[in-house]
Amino acid sequence: MRRTVLSALALTCTALLAGAAPALADSRPSAVPSDVRSAKPSAVPADSRPSPVPSDARSAEPSTVPAESAPSAAPTRAPERGQVSVRPAGAPDTGVADTGSDSASGGLVGGGAAAVLLAGGAVTLVRRRRAHGA
Amino acid sequence: MTPLSRRAFGTAALGSLLVGCSGGAAEPAADTRARRTRGTGGSGDGPSSGTSANSVRALGRSAPVRLLIPAIAVDTPLIRLGLAKDGTVEVPPITADDRAGWYLHSPTPGEVGPSVVLGHVTVGNYGDGVFRRLAELRRGDRIVARRKDGSTAEFAVDRVRTVAKAEFPAEQVYGDVDRPELRLITCGGPRDGQEYRDNVIVFAALRSTSP
Repeated sequence: MRRTVLSALALTCTALLAGAAPALADSRPSAVPSDVRSAKPSAVPADSRPSPVPSDARSAEPSTVPAESAPSAAPTRAPERGQVSVRPAGAPDTGVADTGSDSASGGLVGGGAAAVLLAGGAVTLVRRRRAHGA
Repeated sequence: MTPLSRRAFGTAALGSLLVGCSGGAAEPAADTRARRTRGTGGSGDGPSSGTSANSVRALGRSAPVRLLIPAIAVDTPLIRLGLAKDGTVEVPPITADDRAGWYLHSPTPGEVGPSVVLGHVTVGNYGDGVFRRLAELRRGDRIVARRKDGSTAEFAVDRVRTVAKAEFPAEQVYGDVDRPELRLITCGGPRDGQEYRDNVIVFAALRSTSP
């Protein structure tokens, strides 16, 4: 019976340790961000330290240079390069009407009128000659 | 230890062992499920956007060389069009073998942005232009642009508009968009002398590409 009890105890301890291992593993990452966080504040005072000394000079120079030139140039140029770079003026003239048919019909009308005039003149001449001959 | 307490101790030990094992096994399963769900969601967004991105994935820059519109029996080589001296867009020359042209200051078909292609509706005494039947296109009709690099960009007609030239929607035609699109432009509407009063504009979006 002692063996049974001891073996059960050993199994239980093993199971507990196995169960505790992930918990320990989970607890490790929590230490990482704490280190990172601890590193961040250390960086902040490092930045803040030099600021009091040349605060006026540094704050004036970089604020004007990047604020005016870099951000304003980047967003305006980027979309223009990718898409229509030069916009045409007005509407495209993509249709030339058929002028040949219009001139042909005009020619037909003119020719018909000329033929009518000629015929009328000829009839008039014939009548005058007959009148004079008679 | 009495036999009863031994049994109880043994049962408790075995129970704790089983609980420990099952708990340890359940957590990873939940994790993998969550990861898979996230992965599926992410890749579901990814692949679905990926498949949609595959179907509408933007291409790099390569000049178009040919345009096909099966619905209106258009199969034309594409010439390059720039700007005229007066700042308007160039149009293809008036010739018997009328061709369409791609505006070279616009994106190439398949690139992100509005790629602009122009063609005549009529070419004077030569008769019908290459885009004579452009206004007959309907939503969903297929437009295929073949590019110089051998790739093909296939578009689907989104809408067809006929607008007065005096009110040409420059922003809608040339304005920036967030996907590859195509604009086909010709003239239309009633004639005022030898000129047409309107423009017919086809708006199409990229449906698929092939390398």
